[in-house]
Amino acid sequence: MSLPVFLARAMHALCREAFAEINMSLTIPSPAVNRRALLGGLAAMAGSGPVFAQPRGEQLLVVMWGAQWIEVCRPIGEEWMRASGDRIQWELHAGGAMAVVGRLRPLWPRVPQNLIAAWDPVFAAMMEAGWMEPVSEAEMPALRDIPEPFFKKNAQGQKMTVPLSTAGAFWGYRTDLVTGPPIESIEQLLEPRFRGKLCVPVPVNLSGLLLVSLAMQRGGNERNIEPGWAFLKELAQRGQIGRVVANNSEMINAMSAGDLSVAFWNTGGWQAVRNRFPCRLLTRLTDNKGFLFNEGFAVMKGENPARVAAAKRFANHFATAEINTRYNRSLGSGPTNIHSQAAPEIADIFYTPAELERFAYIPDYAHMSSQVDAWTRRWETEITPLVRRG
Amino acid sequence: MDAAVGDGDHTARPAGVMPRLAIWLVTPGLLLLALLMGGPVLLLALESLKPYVPGSVRPGEGITFAHYRELLQPAYLFYFWETFRIGLIVASLSILFGAPLAFAAVRSPSALVRKFLLALLVGLLVMSLIARLYAIEMAWGSNGPLAPLGALLGIAPRHPRYAEVQVGIGLLHFTLPVVALMLVGAFRALSPRLEEAAASLGATRSDAMISVVLPLAAPGIVSAFLVALAMCISNFVAPLVLGRGVVVFTTSLMYTRFADIGNYPSGAAIGITMLILAFLVVYGLSALARRLIPR
Amino acid sequence: MIRLLDIAARLLVRFAVLAAVLFLLVPLLVACLLSFDDRSFLGAFPPREFSLRWYRAFASNPTYMDGLMVSLQLGVVAAAIATILGTMGALALMDPRLAGRDALEAVFLSPKFVPTVVIGFSLLVFTARLGIFDPFTRLVMGHVVITLPFTLRAVLASLIGVKRSQIEAAISLGASEARALWDVAVPAARSGIVAGAAMAFVLSFDEVAVSLFLSDAFTQTLPIALVAEMRANLNLTIAAVSTIFLAATLLLLVLLDRTIGIERLAGDVGARG
Repeated sequence: MSLPVFLARAMHALCREAFAEINMSLTIPSPAVNRRALLGGLAAMAGSGPVFAQPRGEQLLVVMWGAQWIEVCRPIGEEWMRASGDRIQWELHAGGAMAVVGRLRPLWPRVPQNLIAAWDPVFAAMMEAGWMEPVSEAEMPALRDIPEPFFKKNAQGQKMTVPLSTAGAFWGYRTDLVTGPPIESIEQLLEPRFRGKLCVPVPVNLSGLLLVSLAMQRGGNERNIEPGWAFLKELAQRGQIGRVVANNSEMINAMSAGDLSVAFWNTGGWQAVRNRFPCRLLTRLTDNKGFLFNEGFAVMKGENPARVAAAKRFANHFATAEINTRYNRSLGSGPTNIHSQAAPEIADIFYTPAELERFAYIPDYAHMSSQVDAWTRRWETEITPLVRRG
Repeated sequence: MDAAVGDGDHTARPAGVMPRLAIWLVTPGLLLLALLMGGPVLLLALESLKPYVPGSVRPGEGITFAHYRELLQPAYLFYFWETFRIGLIVASLSILFGAPLAFAAVRSPSALVRKFLLALLVGLLVMSLIARLYAIEMAWGSNGPLAPLGALLGIAPRHPRYAEVQVGIGLLHFTLPVVALMLVGAFRALSPRLEEAAASLGATRSDAMISVVLPLAAPGIVSAFLVALAMCISNFVAPLVLGRGVVVFTTSLMYTRFADIGNYPSGAAIGITMLILAFLVVYGLSALARRLIPR
Repeated sequence: MIRLLDIAARLLVRFAVLAAVLFLLVPLLVACLLSFDDRSFLGAFPPREFSLRWYRAFASNPTYMDGLMVSLQLGVVAAAIATILGTMGALALMDPRLAGRDALEAVFLSPKFVPTVVIGFSLLVFTARLGIFDPFTRLVMGHVVITLPFTLRAVLASLIGVKRSQIEAAISLGASEARALWDVAVPAARSGIVAGAAMAFVLSFDEVAVSLFLSDAFTQTLPIALVAEMRANLNLTIAAVSTIFLAATLLLLVLLDRTIGIERLAGDVGARG
């Protein structure tokens, strides 16, 4: 290590230590956090030297979505830190989970992240890149209580994901803003009363499920997406699309502002809006389907086996019945552990086994993630100009 | 140049010679730029020629110009145009409003006014741009108190195109303090005697400004304009926060490709194109200015 | 008639100044007001319920504090390096007879015209290839590149008043050229050096695009921490942070006015190019 870098690091560590002191007086005392700061500083000063005491337990870097996700995860993380001695550092997805894949690609295999919260399309991309650790019931006993179909498996049949939620993406609207007949089919979205009222995601978000939904309305699916483009263009040309959003925060803000009334988004975002305004999610359309997917953790491959083991233990904790119930309750999603209780509010959204066949659809997410680039290109060239015109 | 008394060896140096000391002085900086900007950009240029394989870790083999050809489509040409168009408008507005501001900050008879204006300008430099952008979203957005003012420009705040107005306002907020401060430096260099002389010859204040002050400050004004333009076209957060997905700058396109999708070659192609265009526009405009404004 | 036009023109200019000031001020005040907003989403203005929740959120979230520390250190280190290199370059370029002087100046100023997204991403790939993974080092590299044009320009502008003849006089009295520069030019450029360094620090502190690519989870700058939270979470912590910055800056400005005098400082910051 060269001198300037060492000096910078030393300064960094000393300042960090000083700041930890100030921090302690300003915050609710959380021993784990401040110990981390102090020890982190000392460790930084020593570089990778073994002279200064290595902290008890492992340090894990976990990537999680913001909004309600991080709000429910932080306390769970803090309890875990006290119980196990591991230290959990949270990193937030800035937009869609796929973005973290783009960010890690140039850095692989030197990625510090140990657990990444993701959903089916991103799992597919990460599996294809070979980044994930296989998981087994021997190492993670809570997995025994999760039904087989929820797991994503690799070519060798090994389980690769830790599914924590069943969630969905649906069309929905604010019932306090929509007057006249209720919406029973998305064909109605072409009506003049919805001019400028639609809030839709870019293809990067939700891996393009919007397009698939529109395609299915007109007889297509994720592999035959052309009818979806035609429908989308119709909506754009008529000026129905009022806002294009790129992340959770923007969707929640847009739907809370009051000038948009209809949106297509995932249950997490809808939950935040439903907490404040009356909404109806179109989960049982007669001429279309709702989309289902799993969210959960991907355990990243790492050089430090102790850390990988600690990551698996932490992920396992989320899969236990009690934590799984707690985790999903504020997200408006369904738990994956069969012993967990689903929140009563989501009863209207989720399907009985009989309804699954009629109303739900699980598209080929792997295929969709390979199309996102082309779809984004098409969105930029054909849709954005139409939306601008309003 | 005055020749000092003394040795001819040290003083009378022919023009066009690069003394050794100067070489030592510029080399570290040049080396840094070559290594940290030249090298990476070159690498990026090479990257832009590789084909993109969706969902894969490595790019494909071979050389292709497909990413550049793609940019010739009307939609992308429009995005390039949009970036420069809004940049030019905002740069012009920042001169239009920045010049009076700077002049008042230098020549106002009241010391309080001068200090206040300067404090405002310097203070704004330190304020986080992102915070200001979200504040603009609140103030000028469809629910904000200034929305009716924004509507005066002919676009309803609820209409998707209103995002153009907001991005413009955001960028103006970004460039105005910098431009005003640069012009403060330019005006400061002008002696007030010049205006007094013009007045004593019977010119009105406006006359004095137009025929005396502005021509002398012109190089500074041109420089400020070009800096503002450069700041606008390479700005990344304003279209991100205020663009509503509808105002797309080339920086947004690049970011989507690099960060969200992972299509590096395409992003690289846009970056290289933008670089070349920016250089051409800026140096073209400054050459034009040099021709029109005698120094 | 001309008199009337003149008065009209001057009124217009006064109005322009007022409009500009209001334009600049209003978002600042809105941001300050927002920092006390109790709602957890971007709702209608003005807020009706007030609380200090966002200030508490800022103080209690270690991510922001860490980000602040990183930004401060990064700013100091990057500004220091950029100021040294910029001053050296300016000392060389102050001689208009230098061979290739204009071309050299153009090269030094060129980072201004490269989009910061390009600089950030290309450095990420470049350093990954070279095996440089320490995020702080990468951040310093990126920030020095983007701040170098400003320090150079600031010092160069303040060297305009230094005549070559003064240097040559020193040389004729027996000093080496380096010594002459150090004793004559550098003191004259002092205000430019300070202004350039201040400008570099401020630029580095607020930089988003470069930091976005070069940060990692453990070493984030404050704007990146704010942007990440802002895009993932709904919170107005950023408004609280800005209000704190504004208050700190106002204090600093008052202090500066008492000591250096704000008019001199501003004049040097806005170096004529």
